[in-house]
Amino acid sequence: MAYNLTVNGKPYSIDADGTTRLLWVIRDIIGLSGTKYGCGIERCGACTVLMNGEEKRSCAIELKEAAGRPITTIEGLSPDNSHPLQKAWVAMQVPQCGYCQSGQLMACAARLKQGESPTGIASEIGNLCVCGTYQRIREAMATL
Amino acid sequence: MTTTNPNPAPVTPRRNISRRGFLLASIGGAGGLCLGFNFISAETKGARAAAITPASGDDRAVTAAAPIESRLNAFLTIDGDGAVTINFGGCEFGQGTKSGFCQVVADELRVDWRTVQANQSDAAINPATGAGISYPTFMTNGAPVNILYATGGSGAFRNGNRFAVLRTAGATAREMLITAGAAEMGVPRDQCSAANGTVVVTGTSQSRKYGELAAKAALLPVPTVTIADPAVASFQLIGQRLPRLDIPAKTNGSAVYGLDVRLPGMLYAAVKHSPGIGGVLSKPPATPAGAKFAFPLVAEVTRGAVQKGATNAVAVVADNTWLAIQGAKSLKATWANPAATAAIDSASILAQAQTLMTTGAALPGESSGDPDGLLSGATASIDSTYSFPYVPHVCMEVMNATVRYTPTSCELWVPTQNAAGCAVTAKGLTGFTGDKVIVHTTYLGGGLGRKIEQDYVSQAVQTAMALYKKTGSGVVKLMWPREEDFANDMFRPMALVRVQAGLKAGGVALKYRTVTPSIRVQRGGVLTTADSSAIEGAAASLYGFAARNVEHVVHPAGVPVGYWRSVGYSINTFALECAIDELASKAAIDPLEFRRQLLTANSANPKAVRALAVVNAAAALSSWRTSLPAGHAWGIAFAESFGSLVCQIADISQPAAGSIKVHRVACAIDCGTAVNPGSIEAQMQGGIAHGLSAAFWGQQTFVKGVPQVKNFNAYRMLRASDMPQVAVSIVNSGAAIGGVGEPGVPPIGPAVANAYFRLTGTRIRALPFFPNAGGLADG
Repeated sequence: MAYNLTVNGKPYSIDADGTTRLLWVIRDIIGLSGTKYGCGIERCGACTVLMNGEEKRSCAIELKEAAGRPITTIEGLSPDNSHPLQKAWVAMQVPQCGYCQSGQLMACAARLKQGESPTGIASEIGNLCVCGTYQRIREAMATL
Repeated sequence: MTTTNPNPAPVTPRRNISRRGFLLASIGGAGGLCLGFNFISAETKGARAAAITPASGDDRAVTAAAPIESRLNAFLTIDGDGAVTINFGGCEFGQGTKSGFCQVVADELRVDWRTVQANQSDAAINPATGAGISYPTFMTNGAPVNILYATGGSGAFRNGNRFAVLRTAGATAREMLITAGAAEMGVPRDQCSAANGTVVVTGTSQSRKYGELAAKAALLPVPTVTIADPAVASFQLIGQRLPRLDIPAKTNGSAVYGLDVRLPGMLYAAVKHSPGIGGVLSKPPATPAGAKFAFPLVAEVTRGAVQKGATNAVAVVADNTWLAIQGAKSLKATWANPAATAAIDSASILAQAQTLMTTGAALPGESSGDPDGLLSGATASIDSTYSFPYVPHVCMEVMNATVRYTPTSCELWVPTQNAAGCAVTAKGLTGFTGDKVIVHTTYLGGGLGRKIEQDYVSQAVQTAMALYKKTGSGVVKLMWPREEDFANDMFRPMALVRVQAGLKAGGVALKYRTVTPSIRVQRGGVLTTADSSAIEGAAASLYGFAARNVEHVVHPAGVPVGYWRSVGYSINTFALECAIDELASKAAIDPLEFRRQLLTANSANPKAVRALAVVNAAAALSSWRTSLPAGHAWGIAFAESFGSLVCQIADISQPAAGSIKVHRVACAIDCGTAVNPGSIEAQMQGGIAHGLSAAFWGQQTFVKGVPQVKNFNAYRMLRASDMPQVAVSIVNSGAAIGGVGEPGVPPIGPAVANAYFRLTGTRIRALPFFPNAGGLADG
């Protein structure tokens, strides 16, 4: 059956099995590749998106569960790299390989919206970065 | 089930293979300007390509025919607007090389940094030699110089004297532009100079922009240009903290990694390997539910128990990655394990290593003086054995490659450190040569040495060919689920290292014996002396030992091994720096002071003098050492690796379950000349994070051929809350340029182990420190 999905404010009708994970719907079916695959078991955080404004690891969310709930991916964080987090990331030169950074940014964005303190977020965020950009994430968050 | 694409993203290949001209070194000495190059994209240069191909190799007519964009050489182009493009043949995975190349060239070229951009070069096969090529070529002083062919060994600027070559490229173009400008303005050349992308006549307002001069400059003979010694050169951009070019795209999801490539008509493949390393598929498996095909794959090379030509994996092809992964997981296949597979067992491999430590024949590494003589009757001595596990690479982006195969061409998109190698792999499978094989390098979500290898590339080409045979369309993206990535790595080799060291009036003696697999031997090499990558970090130590002996016993274990960020240095630095610390403790000498003494004892070697300055810089940066809070302790380690000298001093406190809290690290580095201090600091931070992950938790274990760690639920790595605050001091010695991608890794493990001893009185001699810490917790 077809599921109605809203991603970054755009409606999509997705004709796929309801257990298909949201990560792969976003990447392979919709074609937005900023959300990354890292582990498929909710541990690394590379696939983090917002669902109903909340931080979710999209590798574990089934399509049928996501249907009807607004999804925001990294491509929807801002139209022009103008989100304060994106500006801070560029100013502090955070990314190295960059692969995990969509997830880092989305997790930070969700927690900022919840009213958590930037420094608290930077020290507690669980998203894995094998390059070890954590110190620069801390420095970028401290500028907010 | 069907999937529809409600919003198909229009994805086109970067270039059309059939419209490319292909040329190799059509060079006739210094007569022409576009003297050495590999590819000319037909879109802009088709007419020129046709004109050049005939014979002369003289590019004058060609550049004259197309003055809009003048090819000063294949490496560097300046267009009519003055925009500078640098063709980059390596790969960018966060180390900043792509930007660093631009920074170095722009410095000598005297242009505004913001006018410079980097273009990723493609790789193909040289039809004349059959070798893979992935370099742009620069012509200097009448000879072609290839600029970068593979990314490894922290060698972007070190290898092939590239730092000088890149500066020469910029300087040569600048001098040609000045000559063209002088002629254009009708003034003597010595009245002209270059600044900010413009040739100016000294003392006047007369000037010409580079863009206006590029076409004319391209007609001039290539001059011989001498660049200033880096120690005394007045750099304008080198040494500046310039922003990296790749960063904005890495904050909005637009950077394209291998896994992000989408082509029209593309299918998706997920790989399932034999559960036992080296196991062979018994018969072709049925296609699993939800998938379209299941293609057997053969191993392209022999790596330990994995035998070349053996069917050791299956590609499950489906409409999307989710279906492909589900199909791979549910695949019903039977595998036959050869004896070599069953022999892969962590407990028995360690037992073999222990036997080899006492009975194994050693290959000589380094020898001087009489260490046994000094050791007997030493006033202080140690005899310690350190053990190291197999360690997986764990790139954030799993192994993957995308291939479009037709009966006449094979085009690849790969996150690779070795595009030329990918071209050779594709040639081996397809028989195509020249530009019938094209390799596009994407961004890499980590490489760490793993993405030099070709196993996943071969699998992708095999799958595309099988798919073409079945359907008439051979377009596929192949990926490894994380579980396959953890299990089918080419691991950092395990090692067992015995260090004997002693202090006597005559000096310090060192005996160092490592039992470890040889990466080189596993790849068919034959050794008469120690594998250099097995003893690096122990051999050629800058410490002034009065006598030393370093040797290597090759351990023939069947686990596939490979190059892991900093390779042997990550193992041997731990053993040597812990042993030095142990000896200092036995002799009741401060460990920092002991290292100073050992380096001073070698002060005839200029590098040891630099090393002492680096140790002193780390000491100065860690002035907190003398006022640590209760429950804290510091530890130090030093290493020379990849042409750079690094000293790290760590501040730790009492360990919690499964981890040690590292509060601060003072890190000093001398890499000769610092191109971009911001990138160097980032690499030191990243190297420390990577080294801590490995020291604390990094290991793969094996039971009867089967790797036990499959995903992050059983594998812990450093997270934000574990990350120390790293302070970096860059010592600009002006010496030969060193690497920065790897040298940050080796010292941190021993620095923390040495701090742990100061705190607890216990030595850590087995890695990882916390083998039972479990995986990444939820969150």
